[in-house]
Amino acid sequence: MTSLTQDTDPIPRAERPAANPPPFPPTWALKVTMAVTGMAFAAFLAFHMAGNLKVYLGAEDFDHYADWLRTLLNPLVPGEVFLWIFRVVLGLSFVAHVGSGAILWYRARKARGPHARKILVNRISARTMIWTGLILGSFVTFHVLELTVGMRPMASDAFVQGSAYANLVHSFSRPAVAFFYGLTMALLAFHLSHGLLSVVNDLGATGRRFRAVWFAIAGIVAVLIVLGNLSIPIAVQTGILT
Amino acid sequence: MRLILEVWRQESPTAEGRFTVHEITDAREEMSILELLDRLNHQLVDNGEEPVAFESDCREGICGTCGVDVNGVPHGPRDNAPACFQHIRALRDGATVRIEPLRALGFPVIRDLIVDRTGLDRIIQAGGTVAVDAGTAPDADALLVTHADAESALDFAACIGCGACVSACPNGSAHLFTGAKLAHLALVPHGKKERGRRARAMVAQMEHEFGPCSQIRECVLACPASIPITAIAAVNKERLRAAFWTRDN
Repeated sequence: MTSLTQDTDPIPRAERPAANPPPFPPTWALKVTMAVTGMAFAAFLAFHMAGNLKVYLGAEDFDHYADWLRTLLNPLVPGEVFLWIFRVVLGLSFVAHVGSGAILWYRARKARGPHARKILVNRISARTMIWTGLILGSFVTFHVLELTVGMRPMASDAFVQGSAYANLVHSFSRPAVAFFYGLTMALLAFHLSHGLLSVVNDLGATGRRFRAVWFAIAGIVAVLIVLGNLSIPIAVQTGILT
Repeated sequence: MRLILEVWRQESPTAEGRFTVHEITDAREEMSILELLDRLNHQLVDNGEEPVAFESDCREGICGTCGVDVNGVPHGPRDNAPACFQHIRALRDGATVRIEPLRALGFPVIRDLIVDRTGLDRIIQAGGTVAVDAGTAPDADALLVTHADAESALDFAACIGCGACVSACPNGSAHLFTGAKLAHLALVPHGKKERGRRARAMVAQMEHEFGPCSQIRECVLACPASIPITAIAAVNKERLRAAFWTRDN
């Protein structure tokens, strides 16, 4: 007996599951990397914002705080060793976060296929993660070159290594820079809120109560970080900080 | 009701597809999307044309066979309802309705509105089963399952495998589907025996053909079985667990 359709049947027959390994690095591991490094950034941002608010206590307090950061954990860890460990960890997290994000974006774009999707959920933050992320990445580069390294023309002409308060005020006195900081903080609100909400799924938290509590904390933390930071360029521009 | 239908026509998996425009003048509000397609096919056959190929079976929302994108939304405009429950009263009289196959790279078109969803079958084949010798049915009280676990497992087991979640997703991701099965089987006694092995195999197979999840949550609106978003978390929960607990269970 011969099959009528065996060779000409256009319907692909179900194959066995693939025997070769899936794409490397695995998608789930990349998502976990994004979640862990993202949370590290969020924690860093929360402390960074709390430190930034010391600017309202005056130049002496702020500069003292900035100096303390450089010699953190002294004398247990000598000199600026801890500062450099901190920088290396943040730097590696940055590379891992951006790298994982790029691979995931590419895989997502490919798996969608050629046809665009209609979006019903008003979740602009989720759809723009790659773009807010890219802008935030360039902001961080600018921010480090400006206020840490003091490289011109990013840094203001009055930049002096070590006088954190004066550098900050001089920098934010430039309207374009103040506007750029304000804009990135608005984008950060989007990026941070979606990122912190996604963490529960990426790390596999399924409990209803835990998720509800986490969502509340995530929202509050994101709003506080953004508002706290946003207040500083506004305060400089309106002449509250001089 | 009068409706203008733009229907995707594609001869074969390799042929180029296109939309053809048809007018239905005698559509009735209580018709489902599938009955609308039936009506169109009668009209096409009467005119000596080739009818539109589409899939359907039970037409009572339990089989998961049907599935088309209606105006870019899997199944149709109503949330959490299969195409057979999507009545055209949700559409405006005289509206143009675009009907196309479920869209995703993992769902190649076979013909017209029929797509190849065996990618989902392969995820189930990889580990969505109980492969230990479970014997005959045990006494009712021999294996104790709490009411909460049983209810939760049943909620996840409600997936009918229609593929709407994949098509709704801008990333072509099958997380809701895979997570529903992983969460379901991790909650019941026989399924627990292969919890780790299953997570490794199913997630690997899923990653072969489907995209990552960005938590846009389109799938949760599209799912006719109302699978909760925690199914997404279950994928990484089970896979992370299997990364640290390297045994079969």
